[in-house]
Amino acid sequence: MAKLPVSAEKIIKQYGPKKNYTPLGGFEGSNEPDRLVKTHCCFCGMQCGIQLKVKDNQIAGFEPWMEFPFNEGRLCPKGVQRYLQNNHPDRILSPLQRVEGKGFEPIDWESAMGRTVNEIKRIQSTYGNDAFAMLSGVSLTNEKSYMVGKFARLALKTKNLDYNGRLCMVSAGAGNKKAFGLDRISNSWADLKHAKVIIIAGTNISECFPTLTHYIWEARDNGAKLIVVDPRVTPIARTADLHLPVKPGRDSALFGAILKQLVDNDWLDHDFIDYHTSGFEEAIDAVKEYDLDWAEATTGIDKEKIRLAAEWWGKADTSFLLHARGIEHHTKGVDNVVSCINIVLATGRIGKPYCGYGTITGQGNGQGGREHGHKCDQLPGNRDITNPEHRKYIAEVWGVEEKEIPGKGLSAYEIIEAIHRGEIKGLISICFNPLVSLPNNNFVREALEKLEYYMCIDFFLNETARHADVIMAGSLHEEEDGTVTTAEGRVVKINQAITPPGQARKDSDILIELAQRLGAGDKFNYSKAEDIFNELRVASKGGTADYYGITYKKIEENMGIFWPCPSEDHPGTPRLWEDKKFKTPDGKAHFNAVPYREPSEVTDKEFPVTLTTGRVVSQYLSGTQTRRIGKLVDQYPEPLLEIHPSLAQQFGIKERELVRVSTRRGEAVFPAQIVETIRPDTVFIPYHWGGSQSANQLTIGTLDPVSKIPEFKVCACKLEPLKKWAAPSTDSLAFQSHETLKP
Amino acid sequence: MPSSTKYDQQMGFFIDMQRCIGCHACEMACAECETNGQESMIHIHYVERAVSTQTTVQVCMHCEDPACANVCPADAISKDEFGVVHTAETSRCIGCSNCVLACPFGVPQKQEKAELMMKCNMCYDRTSAGKKPMCATVCPSQALFYGTREEIEKKRPDSVPVDTFFFGEQEVKTKVKIMMPKGSNYLKVQ
Amino acid sequence: MLKLFQTLNRVAFIKATIAALAVVILVFIGSRNLQNFDAALIAYLFGTIFAVFGIAYRYSVWLQRPPTRLYWRRSMQFLFSKDFITYASRSVYLLFRNILFQRFIAYRSRTRWWGHFLLATGCLLSFAITVPLTFGWIHFTLEPGSYEIYNANFFGFKVGSFELGGLISILAFKALFLTSFPVIIGAVIMMKRRVKDGGVIATQSLEGDWLPLVLLIAISVTGLGIGYDYTFLDGRTHQFMAVTHAITVILFLIWMPFGKFFHIFQRLAQLGANLYKIEGKKRGMAVCPHTKEEFATQTHINDLKRVTKEVGFDFTLADGSSHLDLSPEGKRSALAKAHFEARQASGKFFG
Repeated sequence: MAKLPVSAEKIIKQYGPKKNYTPLGGFEGSNEPDRLVKTHCCFCGMQCGIQLKVKDNQIAGFEPWMEFPFNEGRLCPKGVQRYLQNNHPDRILSPLQRVEGKGFEPIDWESAMGRTVNEIKRIQSTYGNDAFAMLSGVSLTNEKSYMVGKFARLALKTKNLDYNGRLCMVSAGAGNKKAFGLDRISNSWADLKHAKVIIIAGTNISECFPTLTHYIWEARDNGAKLIVVDPRVTPIARTADLHLPVKPGRDSALFGAILKQLVDNDWLDHDFIDYHTSGFEEAIDAVKEYDLDWAEATTGIDKEKIRLAAEWWGKADTSFLLHARGIEHHTKGVDNVVSCINIVLATGRIGKPYCGYGTITGQGNGQGGREHGHKCDQLPGNRDITNPEHRKYIAEVWGVEEKEIPGKGLSAYEIIEAIHRGEIKGLISICFNPLVSLPNNNFVREALEKLEYYMCIDFFLNETARHADVIMAGSLHEEEDGTVTTAEGRVVKINQAITPPGQARKDSDILIELAQRLGAGDKFNYSKAEDIFNELRVASKGGTADYYGITYKKIEENMGIFWPCPSEDHPGTPRLWEDKKFKTPDGKAHFNAVPYREPSEVTDKEFPVTLTTGRVVSQYLSGTQTRRIGKLVDQYPEPLLEIHPSLAQQFGIKERELVRVSTRRGEAVFPAQIVETIRPDTVFIPYHWGGSQSANQLTIGTLDPVSKIPEFKVCACKLEPLKKWAAPSTDSLAFQSHETLKP
Repeated sequence: MPSSTKYDQQMGFFIDMQRCIGCHACEMACAECETNGQESMIHIHYVERAVSTQTTVQVCMHCEDPACANVCPADAISKDEFGVVHTAETSRCIGCSNCVLACPFGVPQKQEKAELMMKCNMCYDRTSAGKKPMCATVCPSQALFYGTREEIEKKRPDSVPVDTFFFGEQEVKTKVKIMMPKGSNYLKVQ
Repeated sequence: MLKLFQTLNRVAFIKATIAALAVVILVFIGSRNLQNFDAALIAYLFGTIFAVFGIAYRYSVWLQRPPTRLYWRRSMQFLFSKDFITYASRSVYLLFRNILFQRFIAYRSRTRWWGHFLLATGCLLSFAITVPLTFGWIHFTLEPGSYEIYNANFFGFKVGSFELGGLISILAFKALFLTSFPVIIGAVIMMKRRVKDGGVIATQSLEGDWLPLVLLIAISVTGLGIGYDYTFLDGRTHQFMAVTHAITVILFLIWMPFGKFFHIFQRLAQLGANLYKIEGKKRGMAVCPHTKEEFATQTHINDLKRVTKEVGFDFTLADGSSHLDLSPEGKRSALAKAHFEARQASGKFFG
């Protein structure tokens, strides 16, 4: 019965999103804070260091943290404004329950807990344990990620636990495991500064990881050539030495063609290939047909540019290849990733100073959160839930029988599909807003409406939570201690600055109490975050993501420690593979054969235009946090349809005209923004908004067969100009996720 | 201006708009500067979005002979001993907008309701305490750089700091410098 | 400040002398040849005359600056035009709103407005009382044959009478004590801001910002001291109280032309700036060639082209247009484009 209890408008009125601004002159006490708390930004995988000003148990502002080595005070607009989440009128201050026809009303913790536990027991006794699922997120700390994994398996006793990293870096994770047997970027960012050729593929660093820009620019000052692969001229691509405007969904063709160029011109590191890799012959056999003409026809990139990219890469002394969601959000996300790795391995530029490769993790704890067991197929330390030895080890750490740990469950989107089929009846979510962030979200909404019981833990009432039966008031990033692992593999400390306001509780306290009420309290004897971390250290020991040697003290003394760190006297590992001992079964790095295949949906007569989606700099993921911060909303108030003037002309579309974009899954209306900075066959819509202006109404839910990541980045659409002009952006209420478009 | 200051005259402000990624971090951070009371003084915008993602970012250039101060009918704008051109003295400014329209860099802003001009004063609350200005501190691309001349010359070997601008035949010299290709001595605007 | 006098400005000197003489003459007329002049106020009188001279001198020098002169002339031109009634009534409205009530300050901070409003109101009322008294323009006499009825005389003419001990008499004789309270409260509010606001702390100065406040409080407190003395101490410390009060007031008067208090007179120009904008809008807006949007009045742009030249800046471009034709955003974009082109010409966009 998880339909909206009242209209979305009524819910919005009470719980937002509302735009929060700092009052003129600053928050009370921002001039003379009680203390400055050194912690990190809550947003992307860069995890920039920042100091929060605390006054009377509220966040009053921020002060740059100049000493933190990664960012030295630098921040993006989201980081600067992050402090506005505390002191926010939308904050959920007590548990809420859905009341049909009335909306949400505050209840006490006893009722919220009691009802949730009763519903779990009812559903599980009626339909089986796995009929109750849990969805988690990787903005959570390592401690919470670990605890969610343990909670779902031991307290909820379900196999169906997955996380929103499934929409983020699973393709990279799977590709890295295939190639290296371990899932982490190979080098710290420090090495990036001295690489001579840098390829960034499918990553709009300037908007998604702004603080990494400095490293790219410093590398260029040191003489690096920058190659950007992106269908759009993003700000980082604008001045690049070479911009390859790839047609969405054709990345593996590009990298296959580059590999063929490397082979044809013998720009190869034969020693490295011979001694430290396997699968080279199969890999080059798969690309032997991919000559430059084929590549130009397939990728839509001028063949001379492809050749030049291959030459620069092939002849470079040092190099770095970075990619992100742009190549990973595909039904062949893993193929794209391993096709990148192939060109890194072919030139042997890994495991050496200034030579590196990696994915840029999108979410705050995208790295740590994907290692410690809240993935459907994983146990802590990046262990495999289907591997009997791994299960046995974790069972020992947890003090349970091996058989008590459920097996591999469904992935995030598969959980939604199972709910839609009626196989899963109950759901707990934390730190996940699938109604905005999953593709084909009309289908997601239908699924949510079929749930018998849905409980959501969050600090704001996100769009998905509007469908909840009970909402538990959780904690902000600055309200709980913990650690996160940054995109460069550095484990850093999050310091609690304030206590949760009102009756809100720490997320971990909520999970602990639920576990106690579900009869698993003895497995959750933690008095503080460090207790959880110390258990995580042991649980990860011997796994590929080994945190055993990392302690809170060591992190704070060293401004972070790079895993793997197997013992307390180990300094951590900023650069991997210097010993060339890869973590694959044969100890070698693996080439993978990547025969090119098309995206799951290609353009045709009916849907003639390619649609791709992505982010803008002022918003973060599903916008639960950033669509509530006034200045961030105002910077880019509504999703726009980016379209090339030639395509616009073809459809008769004018600047700021409303355009209906339709796919086989849904339709939505967006104002046109006509720009020369996008491929003429492709349109782009950012995805951070919910309701009627949600781009994910249009995207396709087909999954990569290995990583189960959805194909957000490419599908086919059609465009209809409506001969009506959009109201000024400044009047837009898109940030509130209304069900219907305001005229 | 107060005499007890830790303003470091070795430090300079250097801009390179071609490094700007248009993220607006500077704009958000500028508002945090205590002299601005949550009003942002820096300007950042697309140059021509229809054709390019190029953005520009503009702080006060702190001219040697500031046009804004010269055209101020109320003597509200002053330059201090460090060459910092201060925002309008609130008691004097009459909100006429002469400075807004005469500044060749398009820097001062008129707060319409307050009938007051405000502009960047190089985060005087921070620079006078030996800190970097907010915008240059947070700028993730370091299109805005605050440091010594030696530092920037070492970091950016292909560029040279330039402090001379021509608008037509009018020469304007500034305290804030712009990073230009090696060998340049000035930037001519039209 | 003293540099004002290092190079004597003849025009200003003449104007200031005329203003000072005019005051002296008015004192003679108003006090009926010093008949009604209170000799005890002689020090105040000299202080005031000096202030008038100084203010007139500085005002005159100020008006000679090209931008100020232009505003002054334009204001007069627009005010005394066919739209006199519109602009005069607008000026009166603005006089109340901006000069007497200083509403524009409220948009920066409400507390700051309260502080300034109390301070300014206290000061202006005090001036309104003391200046005519000092000049001998107003004096009080007992109604002949009465011990209760007082007459108030202005320029020697009776303008009213009131009974001793009545409300009016209290207001008339104690007014200065009453006005000292808003001054003190206002000054304390302003001082509080000066110790709390980090931005203000960084940019304030002792003589520009703190001393004026301290002086105003000193004037108010010593003035209250006189009242305290004759109410509770039977005038035993009158001499001391009177002298300290006189010193603070005279310091204030002498300082007025130089320091922060001169802004009281400059503020009037804000009225002119408002008229200038209204009339300018009527005459037509300037459109930026870059943004294609209106951004200022064309009159303003045209005037500025002249004024900038007068103060030594010529922004005329090679094609005969002016850099000043661009809006601020247009200028910033022009600079960015020029920079981009310079980079492009060097062969690399990045460097």
